[in-house]
Amino acid sequence: MANYFNTLPLREKLNQLGVCDFMDSSEFLDGVNALKGKKLVIVGCGAQGLNQGLNLRDSGLDVSYTLRAAAIESKRDSWKNATENNFKVGTYEELIPTADVVINLTPDKQHTAVVSAIMPLMKEGATLSYSHGFNIVEEGTQIRKDLTVIMVAPKCPGSEVRAEYVRGFGVPTLIAVHPENDPQGKGLAQAKAYCVGTGGHKAGVLKSSFVAEVKSDLMGEQTILCGLLQTGSILSFDKMVEKGINAGYASKLVQYGVEVITEALKQGGITAMMDRLSNVAKIKAFEISEELKDIMRPLFQKHQDDIMSGEFSRIMMEDWANGDKNLLAWRAETGETAFEKTPAGDVKIGEQEYFDNYTLMVAFVRAGVELAFETMVDAGIKPESAYYESLHETPLIANTIARKKLFEMNRVISDTAEYGCYLFDQACKPLLSDFMKKVDTDLVGKNFNEGKDGAVDNRTLIEVNEAIRSHQVEQIGATLRKAMTAMKAIKTA
Amino acid sequence: MKKPVVHITNFNLKFQDKSVLKDLCWTINIGENWLLSGESGNGKTSLVKAIANLIPHYGTVKINFNTPSHLPAVVHYVSNWYQFKDLEGQSNFYYQQRYNKQVASTTNSVGSELRHFGQQNHLNIDTLNPILVALGFEHLLAATLIELSSGEHKKLQLIKAIWLKPQLLILDLPYNGLDSASRRNLNLLLDDLVEDGTQLILISNESEMPSSINRFAKIEGGKLVETAEMQHSINLYTEALIPLPSFFEEKQWPASKSHLIKMIDVNVSYGDKKVLKNINWEVKPGEKWALQGPNGSGKSTLLSLICADHPQAFANNFYLFGNLRGSGESIWEIKERIGLISPELHWYFDPTATVWQSIVSGFYDSSGLFCDPGYTKRLQADELIHFFGLDDYKNTLMNQLPLGKQRLALLGRTIIKNPELLILDEPCQGLDQQQTIHFNKLIDELCKNGTTLIYVGHFESQLPDCIEKRIVLENGEVQVIEDILEAVSHT
Ligand SMILES: NC(=O)c1ccc[n+]([C@@H]2O[C@H](COP(=O)([O-])OP(=O)(O)OC[C@H]3O[C@@H](n4cnc5c(N)ncnc54)[C@H](OP(=O)(O)O)[C@@H]3O)[C@@H](O)[C@H]2O)c1
Ligand SMILES: [Mg+2]
Repeated sequence: MANYFNTLPLREKLNQLGVCDFMDSSEFLDGVNALKGKKLVIVGCGAQGLNQGLNLRDSGLDVSYTLRAAAIESKRDSWKNATENNFKVGTYEELIPTADVVINLTPDKQHTAVVSAIMPLMKEGATLSYSHGFNIVEEGTQIRKDLTVIMVAPKCPGSEVRAEYVRGFGVPTLIAVHPENDPQGKGLAQAKAYCVGTGGHKAGVLKSSFVAEVKSDLMGEQTILCGLLQTGSILSFDKMVEKGINAGYASKLVQYGVEVITEALKQGGITAMMDRLSNVAKIKAFEISEELKDIMRPLFQKHQDDIMSGEFSRIMMEDWANGDKNLLAWRAETGETAFEKTPAGDVKIGEQEYFDNYTLMVAFVRAGVELAFETMVDAGIKPESAYYESLHETPLIANTIARKKLFEMNRVISDTAEYGCYLFDQACKPLLSDFMKKVDTDLVGKNFNEGKDGAVDNRTLIEVNEAIRSHQVEQIGATLRKAMTAMKAIKTA
Repeated sequence: MKKPVVHITNFNLKFQDKSVLKDLCWTINIGENWLLSGESGNGKTSLVKAIANLIPHYGTVKINFNTPSHLPAVVHYVSNWYQFKDLEGQSNFYYQQRYNKQVASTTNSVGSELRHFGQQNHLNIDTLNPILVALGFEHLLAATLIELSSGEHKKLQLIKAIWLKPQLLILDLPYNGLDSASRRNLNLLLDDLVEDGTQLILISNESEMPSSINRFAKIEGGKLVETAEMQHSINLYTEALIPLPSFFEEKQWPASKSHLIKMIDVNVSYGDKKVLKNINWEVKPGEKWALQGPNGSGKSTLLSLICADHPQAFANNFYLFGNLRGSGESIWEIKERIGLISPELHWYFDPTATVWQSIVSGFYDSSGLFCDPGYTKRLQADELIHFFGLDDYKNTLMNQLPLGKQRLALLGRTIIKNPELLILDEPCQGLDQQQTIHFNKLIDELCKNGTTLIYVGHFESQLPDCIEKRIVLENGEVQVIEDILEAVSHT
């Protein structure tokens, strides 16, 4: 199968990359009607499968699960998840032929196998839904022409999808209809109804395309979201230990620091995050993040180029074929880092202390978010999409690090993200080695303001503030965040 | 003379610029066990937290463990709130998560939690079992923390405290959520501790207490005032209810013969464990029910079915508002018609919402507010805030308020939309007696509109007058369904 994106003429490439429309809440007034009374059959009952299914059923839709025969026979966790919540479970043969909508929520790596098994069983004119477009775009899977193909991609982990729904809200969601598969023109209506069913319509919905979702999703997760958070965390921890900071303290600062720092990002963008620093620290963080941007720009561009050309997918799929040789080696290596192996110390770190003593991470986050955003936009991705895949998702991933460090992050994210994350991390660490040599404990481990008199030059401060606030990611962010008026504040540990 | 165990001088506490405790002094001598009662929000909790050295404070608090004792020389505080963490040390749980089964277990089991506590404090495991038995907890050792109900969490806190047997034990509203047998047994266990040398400070407004309590006090005008005995009922004034905001009269719910809730052989089980067994129950519009039964009898699970919070509703033959559950309705359509308060709703409620946001969120059944309610609803919220006497706290975050005030705000949230079905699961937890009486009167008044009511309360004396029927559960089975008036004439 050929990479779908590469088969398109340039005009159509740009066309699909540029699909991006922030939907008004009036677009969802029809509620779940387009799916009411239809049989929804979800393939797979993992993180997304179970939680999306619980929400869809609670919204009044008819949901059941189909699992591979082995999972049913050996009563695997996926089978238990479904049956213990009183869902009907059946084999592909039992359930797929009755389904009006088949929702594929298996791991991306399995999609080719899963889709080729279920497609022949699907009834004429049914709909196939995804939560990520990799299979369609990068693997170029061709779907039967009578079938409608849609995507509803929550921009959050499965547990959040459920937690936010239950509290009466939802998580921001991307929806798309595959232009090659919309024979009856019902795709968009169904995707919208699905989105209402999971609660996504309350938190902001972006109409996107399979192409735009995949290219931006891959870019975001490899660079700022997972890659840079991993690199930054490891380098910060090692620096502190090298400089004699207590390892337990360093471990706690790094583990929870990203979560606390990016909570400000979530509430008020880079501006709010930078404003948590004192004026002196803010100017310093600004200066080093500019430096970091210059150092890392070529790497971010290389990732974007490889994603656009399909080179990234090609080498990753090569690794799949190779029994995940690289992935497993890198995973093991991550598990062996000193940060991963040092438990967080039993010390109290106040909320403000996470900013004052971890200015370096604030700089990493600003540099990474802005670079990822800029690189995506330069490549033709619309600012709204670029915002979701960079700034918006950063706090969500930071949460997973707070839960159980990098191991947890890499467990929760998809295999594709994990692979891309390691790829970035491998290249980024050496790139930053000269920079890190100059870093001292005032930037990481100790209070930056300690021993400084706090005086700043007015003009410098005004310029810095201006540069931060006028960045495009801040402008677009302010608009999009308004749609997510209330977000749960994270409890600090 | 021996030094007093606790010696507090010139203790001061402020809340939002208002002085709550002012130059308070308190001496607790050897052999004294104190009961501290009185209205909620008057600084009791902060005072005892300062004794346990849990909060910064102005004034001196001296603790002397100067008697030779084999008990650990610690002050142990059992909070009126409970908290638990998952295996990663976080407590980001969501409302009703315990009913959504997910195989990967994220929390410790009760057994390993207790073992860990025992090891930390060098406790003898043999002394644990009698405590578990007394509080009916043995069967929960294998349960995970996320699966426990709020009453069970409360018991777990108490079990740890009793097992620890500290020299000074402070219990803040320990009876919240406990059934009467558990309360009795708790009191006996506490008396045993006292026998062994523990001293107690108890914050409570209940009439039952351990017999070892020998000193009584309340807080008045920011000072501690010793009283001869527990100061309740004597002072309770039967003050008339100020008129309910008029918008409550706009909705009247007509009585009807058809059922609002109808359960036919309803069962809920987790694996082999049956939590509800063949429940048959009908509730008609306008009926006022008390739902009773000991801890763990299935009350909360039953209510979670009605409130559309339990996935097993889909596997049962059960009609709600005239529709078979699972016939295409959304949970939000159901929730819209119900006003709910429960210990768990409180526990999982967004702690960073303001009082105003919390109350307004009742219009949308959400935890926290996600939209602009518009002019009319704003006005209604303001009226209700005034009615509950919460004007001063309108913009205060929930987690900044004492438990009783938080509870009042959530009660406002429960009734604000004047729903046709009110589900009040121990609504008055954390309130003082005056507030409880007041709230129940409010419910009586509200229910005159034809509202249907299901009220969970462990004690008859704490039910609103309008209650006319009762369903009692035990071990997941219906024990009794009866008219209360009849029941009274029986006895
Ligand atoms: N996780 C996220 O944060 C997130 C966010 C947005 C979108 N997504 C997308 O959601 C989809 C599902 O991801 P997930 O994280 O929910 O996956 P997951 O938790 O790993 O769940 C995978 C499910 O698929 C089943 N499965 C695995 N291999 C299979 C095969 N060969 N055939 C049939 N079933 C198979 C598994 O059950 P058994 O192994 O028991 O058969 C399991 O129930 C992906 O497309 C992902 O990109 C994920
Ligand atoms: Mg992603």
